Amino acid sequence: MNKLKILSKSIWVFHFASAACNNCDIEILDVLTPRFDVERFGVKLVGSIKHADAMLVSGMMNRKGAEFLKDLYDQAPKPLAVIAFGSCASSMGMFKVSYNRVIPVDEIIPVTAYIPGCPPRPEAIIDGIVKVVKKLRGEI
Amino acid sequence: MINKVKDILQGKIIKWEEKSSKRHYIEIDKKDLRSAAELLFRKLELRFCIATGLDNVKNMEVLYHFSDDKTGVVYSLRVFTDRDKGKIPSIADIIKGATWIEREMRELLGIEFTGAADTSRLLLDPTWPEGVYPLRKDYEYGRKEPRGEDSCRRPNIKIEELTKNGKKTKIIPIGPYHPLQEEPEFFELMVQGEKVIDLNINLGYNHRGIEKIAEGKHWDQVTFLVERICGICSCSHPYAYVNAVEDLLGLEIPLRAKYVRTVIAELERIHSHLLWLGLAGHFLGYNTVWMWAWKYRETVLDLCEQISGNRNHYAMMRIGGVRKDIFNSEIDGMKEKAASLVPILDLFKGAVIDDPVIHARTKNIGVLSKEEAINYCVTGPTARPSGLDQDIRKIDILNGAYQLIEWDVIVCQNGDIFDKTVCRVLEMYESVKIITQCLDKLKGLKEGNIWEEVREIPPGEGIGRYEAPRGEVWHYVRSDGGNTPVRHKIRAPSYMNVLSNELAAVGGDVSDAAITLAAVDPCYCCTERMQAVENGNVKYNWEELLRLSEEKTKRLRGELK
Amino acid sequence: MKTIFYFLVFPGFLFALIVGMVASYIERKVTARVQWRVGPPILQPWYDLLKLFTKESVVPENAHLLTFLATPVLFMVSATLVAMYAGMAFFFPDAAFQGDLIVIVYLLTIPPICLILAGAASANPLASLGASREIKLVLSYELVFWMTIAVIWVKTGGELSLVNIMNKPPVMYSYSGGIASVLALFVMQAKLGRVPFDIAEAETEIMAGAYIEYSGPLLGFFKMGQYILLATLPFFISSIFWGGVNVFKYVALLVIVILVENTNPRLKVKQCLKLFWFILFPLSLVALILAVVGL
Repeated sequence: MNKLKILSKSIWVFHFASAACNNCDIEILDVLTPRFDVERFGVKLVGSIKHADAMLVSGMMNRKGAEFLKDLYDQAPKPLAVIAFGSCASSMGMFKVSYNRVIPVDEIIPVTAYIPGCPPRPEAIIDGIVKVVKKLRGEI
Repeated sequence: MINKVKDILQGKIIKWEEKSSKRHYIEIDKKDLRSAAELLFRKLELRFCIATGLDNVKNMEVLYHFSDDKTGVVYSLRVFTDRDKGKIPSIADIIKGATWIEREMRELLGIEFTGAADTSRLLLDPTWPEGVYPLRKDYEYGRKEPRGEDSCRRPNIKIEELTKNGKKTKIIPIGPYHPLQEEPEFFELMVQGEKVIDLNINLGYNHRGIEKIAEGKHWDQVTFLVERICGICSCSHPYAYVNAVEDLLGLEIPLRAKYVRTVIAELERIHSHLLWLGLAGHFLGYNTVWMWAWKYRETVLDLCEQISGNRNHYAMMRIGGVRKDIFNSEIDGMKEKAASLVPILDLFKGAVIDDPVIHARTKNIGVLSKEEAINYCVTGPTARPSGLDQDIRKIDILNGAYQLIEWDVIVCQNGDIFDKTVCRVLEMYESVKIITQCLDKLKGLKEGNIWEEVREIPPGEGIGRYEAPRGEVWHYVRSDGGNTPVRHKIRAPSYMNVLSNELAAVGGDVSDAAITLAAVDPCYCCTERMQAVENGNVKYNWEELLRLSEEKTKRLRGELK
Repeated sequence: MKTIFYFLVFPGFLFALIVGMVASYIERKVTARVQWRVGPPILQPWYDLLKLFTKESVVPENAHLLTFLATPVLFMVSATLVAMYAGMAFFFPDAAFQGDLIVIVYLLTIPPICLILAGAASANPLASLGASREIKLVLSYELVFWMTIAVIWVKTGGELSLVNIMNKPPVMYSYSGGIASVLALFVMQAKLGRVPFDIAEAETEIMAGAYIEYSGPLLGFFKMGQYILLATLPFFISSIFWGGVNVFKYVALLVIVILVENTNPRLKVKQCLKLFWFILFPLSLVALILAVVGL
């Protein structure tokens, strides 16, 4: 039995926002609501990192947030997929000159997938989920 | 009012500068600052908006902005101090709402405030080096500081217990990563049993230094930057910013652009209020309200997409007008969609006003009285339910269509969460009204002619305001005639509103705290573009809050006996 | 041998788990339809469970190890026992015994106690708050629950055997029984921890309450226990009040739970206590008096 295959059928998501502009976070909630409804794929938002199978990281990493990211990643039960969500998390975007920045997400913890966009459209998010699922199943 | 101000400040005025009929800059000596601020705030009942600190290289300058909410005139007190070891008397004990901004200026610009109760590090994290002030001109653009280990306190690991009033007290962390908030924010509730006896607001998880970034961007690029301050107010911030630049220029934009700006800004208000309504339901464990509200929010987002091409960051504003036009041929369809929102609002109005459990959960919970609202200088849908009649749209938006159409300001009286909800629901009706009228007017105008050409920005300063869904957005820009702003000060509504939580939440239950904290519709992305509060234990410095909370505890205990 | 079969396969663990998963699917699906969504596929509860058992369990540093590990298992086992006894009375009346009503009512208090212990052992302020809320919740509904059972006892002439209760005419067709069965619905909602009584795990206030530190298989045991309870409680309520169970009655009860869940916001602890003690408890007294009088 392939463990990751099972995981891909029931992804519980923990959402980590570090200095995001809120749009990514709103769009994440938005894909749960009637028009997009990702519960169809077994995706659920959870409040505790201990329950999570995937961690969505949005926003640029600032000095206060980076420490927590590492902490939370260590606390989470593995296997855990990390998704860099939005331009800021993927590449720091327009905040690459901010004095409060640290290093990009993928230099702190391993990232499974990137979903670019500012903010990513819900369709892009679902596409990202599908890619994560495929990656977990070893299809790509 | 202008004469009154002149009278009351007699003998203190060094220079009175009238930029326009709505913008007055009054230079005074810093030793007169406290008395002048007290006179304006207490005697004339002007609202304190924010203070702006500037590094002029030869000296430091601080502007204290006061707004007259009846006429929309802004009076700014200007004081100067030395660049190194400059000192200014603190006004935080007179005006509660000035607490954060003084700490912010101390941290970012290195201006000392004598007599401030709270002088601890306020911004950034504890490992940020001493004596490095990122907003000063000698701090290079794009520079980054080295970072020490263990820069953050790790919450949520151990149960911290302390004793207070002879009773065991526990600290319940809400955040920084908590499902209550879609943004990172850290509240520490000190509880005895289920009762909240103290609240510790700990910001800084969302600080991005946007004001510094703005100083390195071209005037036009800043529009897109301020759009990304907050995803929900992504029209309000650019709106206030272009208002500020147009105030500097003294420019009036074409009529059609005014209507287009108003339409998109009001659409944003509906989508934001629906979003809040849904989340409030979610916080109360009422997920059906969440899903329903967000289902209908999609209609609004569709309209936004139809106009601007994007669901969230609209990129509609430009200095001198708007970037995209609304096609006259599409207006009928848009009106139909806007009208389809009214029955939905009726549905929510009924659901909120009739539901007994919602009554039980929100009535007389998290009350912010009128006096407290004035003292904390709150704005928008946090102030209006407390009986303050203030709406920037009515008084101070030159380049919008709000003066050309009919609509009302919604004011409630009780200041509890129920009123805050009702206020927002009723505001959505007004927004639909505004949108429909604007679309009607647009139909009568010719397409095209949506911007004035602006070639260069002359030296000067300007203030722009807009009533965002959460309250007043404030932008101040100063130009030296160059390509980029010399100083760009941003103040978001939540900056003033979030602080009022320390009053509204203390004394309630933990289960109330969640909805109370959420009821101001906090937007930390906005609040912290420039701001952060210390990381340590704030209790020593918040004597005032402590006193208030103890009083409240005592009072409640008295009631129990 | 037979007891082991009853416990593990039918009507105990396996059967109750499957029914519970189907019930959970129905719950999520109906919720989704009420919210204008599509909802999860039918095997979703199964996937969730399977996934939890493939993940690792993280034990917090400061937790009390034994309690932390034992409570989820105990939670599930006690729920299974309830399922077994309630099911046996229905499916194998010969194997049931006198007084199983009392046993079931006692066993039903064990899962909340496990939850309280789990929350207290987790060394997390939110979990301990969840535990304290669970205590208050149990204190509020338990009294009313016993009163409704007493109504049954009086109405059926001192019966304590589920089989005999089911064979009598349904209790709910009388004034006292009617009131008691409505009260039992409230208790069921609270025992299942569904809105408006989900105060102990209120996700937006205290995250997941007592469950917050649990992960992987340990959380899976809790989940299994919850599925089994979801299968058993409507079954039990239906068999004592509605005179036996059939698919129609069971689904009707389930739908009531789901609809109440979706049309109400969460109550506060204080309001919940008030509701049970000052409104529902007097009502249950009235029901008991009516029952004694014979109405």
